[in-house]
Amino acid sequence: MELRHHRREMLTISVKDGKMDAVNHGVTEGACARVLIDGSWGFASTTNLEKDAVMEIIEDAASLAKASKPMKKRIAELTQPQAFEDTYETPMRRDPWKSDKEELVKLVIDVDKEVRSFSPKIVSDNVSLRIIDDKLNFTSSEGSRISQRIIRCYGVVTVVARENGKLASAYESIGAQSGLEILEETPLENAGRTAAERADKLASARVAPGGEFPVIIENRIVGLLAHEAIGHCAEADLVYGGSFLADKIGKKVASEKVTLIDDGTFPHGFGTVKYDDEGVPTEKTVIIEKGICRSFLHSRETAKHFNVKPTGNARAWTFEYDPIIRMRNTYIASGDYSLEELAEAIKDGFFLKGGLGGQADFTGEFMFGTQEAIRIRNGEFAESYRGVTISGNAFEVLENVDAVGKDFIMRIGMCGKEQVNYVGMGGPSLRTKLLLGGA
Amino acid sequence: MQEYVEYAIKKCEKLGASEAEAYAQKQRIIEIVLERGEIQSERKKENQGISIRLIKDKKLGFAYTSTLSEKSVEKACEAAFALAKASVPNPDWISLPKSTKPAGSPEGIFDSRIAKLKSAEVLEFALQAANAVKEKDKRAVVDDGKFSAFINETAIANSHGINRRENTTLFSCYLVCITKEMGKASSMAFEYEITRSLENFSPTRLGEKAAEKALASINPKSVTSFEGKVLLDCDPAVILAYPLMSSVNADNVQRRRSLWAGKIGEEVTNPILNVVDDGLLPYGVFSSSFDDEGIPRQKTEILTNGVLQGYLHNSFTANKENKASTGNAYRQNYATLPTVMASNMIIQPGNKTLEEIISEIDKGIIVRRFSGNVRPESGDFSGIAKQASLIEKGEIKHALKETMIAGNAFEALKNIIEIGKETRATMYRAYVPPILVDNVKIVSKQ
Repeated sequence: MELRHHRREMLTISVKDGKMDAVNHGVTEGACARVLIDGSWGFASTTNLEKDAVMEIIEDAASLAKASKPMKKRIAELTQPQAFEDTYETPMRRDPWKSDKEELVKLVIDVDKEVRSFSPKIVSDNVSLRIIDDKLNFTSSEGSRISQRIIRCYGVVTVVARENGKLASAYESIGAQSGLEILEETPLENAGRTAAERADKLASARVAPGGEFPVIIENRIVGLLAHEAIGHCAEADLVYGGSFLADKIGKKVASEKVTLIDDGTFPHGFGTVKYDDEGVPTEKTVIIEKGICRSFLHSRETAKHFNVKPTGNARAWTFEYDPIIRMRNTYIASGDYSLEELAEAIKDGFFLKGGLGGQADFTGEFMFGTQEAIRIRNGEFAESYRGVTISGNAFEVLENVDAVGKDFIMRIGMCGKEQVNYVGMGGPSLRTKLLLGGA
Repeated sequence: MQEYVEYAIKKCEKLGASEAEAYAQKQRIIEIVLERGEIQSERKKENQGISIRLIKDKKLGFAYTSTLSEKSVEKACEAAFALAKASVPNPDWISLPKSTKPAGSPEGIFDSRIAKLKSAEVLEFALQAANAVKEKDKRAVVDDGKFSAFINETAIANSHGINRRENTTLFSCYLVCITKEMGKASSMAFEYEITRSLENFSPTRLGEKAAEKALASINPKSVTSFEGKVLLDCDPAVILAYPLMSSVNADNVQRRRSLWAGKIGEEVTNPILNVVDDGLLPYGVFSSSFDDEGIPRQKTEILTNGVLQGYLHNSFTANKENKASTGNAYRQNYATLPTVMASNMIIQPGNKTLEEIISEIDKGIIVRRFSGNVRPESGDFSGIAKQASLIEKGEIKHALKETMIAGNAFEALKNIIEIGKETRATMYRAYVPPILVDNVKIVSKQ
């Protein structure tokens, strides 16, 4: 049996078109019990933390597990338990709760001012700053007692520009698992400037053409490729369901330039935790090493099924969910090309910048949105187009990676799979071929 | 719950607030999760919380807590007051809603059968649906799914005398289905149902539809890129509904984020299109007596024969124009500030069945799932056409692979050829029928 307690404290400061929205602060807190009886799971949660209510969820979870047992064909089995007694806290220099709220309000207002004064084409913007402080306590009948405190700070800027009766929008974010020092290291105004520049430039730009093209994927969004093209299909529950990576361990699935990692320990990664929500220590899991598929991402249940060690990928969004296999910080390792060198070999292609939503499929077909596509002609960067959604088959796209850059960065992201969660996505700019869903 | 919202208002007034609003929510959920076709987990969840929106001299503070007790409510009120003091005034702020008009209660928003559902019954639904998939076709398998029964209790009060409460129920479920042939998995097909009543709910039908969708992507072939007719099934038709919804949102209109700003009375889409937002729709999935600020829901005309009739407001956007709110305040949950959102946005269905529409297409494609991005402001959309098939001479020829569609929703809304009959409640607060549009780019590698 596992009992988790989760307290989430959140502060959001948001300015829209120079007008202050309400400063929003609050706490949600609850507990959940997950019980495994004779291979059958049961789960119950509550926001009522009085002793009786907590006892009740334990009983509820147990009776759910028992009642549904006859209907379940699959027996859940877990890897050997390891008990940990440990604590972890996000390393930080500036505790966000000790900061002056007026100062944070001013910071957001200042970024908004800068964004709106960037160009007369800009008609509207949102600037927001959020601090999320998660306190997670995990106790299991197997003897674990783990307390973790994860603090994330991030800011988001969206900008809308207008020209000749056309609208274009742009979006950028900054953030990390960190205290407020992240605002010094990667200022929110940088995200504001990037978004403002992009919206301004794209207001009257045409949509990128459709078809297959050689492309450079910018370092800021290459993590989306790692996440959507490979990451999801390496989740052992999807592998079990028949994802295209099933039976590929030890086999070549990408060009030898590609090393792809899901790392639960990446410093300041948005998806970093010391222990996952099954109390398993996280690790750096190499999914693809120089083109060869090495490992999947596991919970205790799938690890048992595949007869491997759990990788610490079982994560739950809140106390209202049982843990499922999720990525943590997924990235492609650096190569040694500069951006100019990546562009050199492209006769007619695109440099793709700015990310939007993405999705993966069992077949290996994946997609994600881009905000801007800069034409590359004979190795030179040329005019900008409105970005489009790109797609490809993961195998082909990764096989076609013929050069990897050295400008590695780690970004923040959110991923939805039955429940949402925070993830890190990263990598350097790289070159491959993709299908552009354009005009 | 009502005692807590009333207590919160008194407390805020005592603290010296100019205005205050409290919103409390209690939810009980029974959930069955399917994974790889089997029951993975059963969940019983209970949650509750209260939020306080407090205004002091045009400065807004907002605080919430998941603990419902006098002490925690007091703390939340004090926090909201402190946050308002730390903020700066919003010159656009006029007032919290003052409406005292009684709210009419839409029929069918509370189903005692859903309220009384036991986890064993929800489990039985899930098993029936999973069995129906297998029985439909051996190649079809359930990958994952979720069946959830919700019982919601809402209470809202403000310092201008609004004081309302309501209980609702909802049942929602989905299946992700794939086909497996020779160990190779097909593209994921997504089928779901959201309903206020179990009266017409059939888990078997859900399973059959999910299997049919998955089978629609078997043996895919590619086509050469072309520009032409795309028949969007109800779900992908959201490509058009989403920018439409965004453009009639008064907040976007006022903030110059809408291409339909200043266009009331003008023809903005094909005259075939009629759209209303009806928060009082009987059995409507997003119906309620009042919106998330306590203002009575209503029916609002959006498009009549393609002519723009009006925008959707909450009290903030309405006050800015000295108008009445249309009852479209929306909160994702108690912990979020109200925004403007459609209730049940209804695209009026046409007369032809999907089959009839297909039979009249000389060359085009049908798309049953859209995996892509839609930019609500510009209307630009592009993405993968999933469970898509080529249509030639009125017949479905074969499934498509590696095919994308791209275009602009505002252009597409002008290029509607036909609207289908089989409308459904989508997960996007819209009731949408299939829509046939012209001049969409169909992109493949060739």
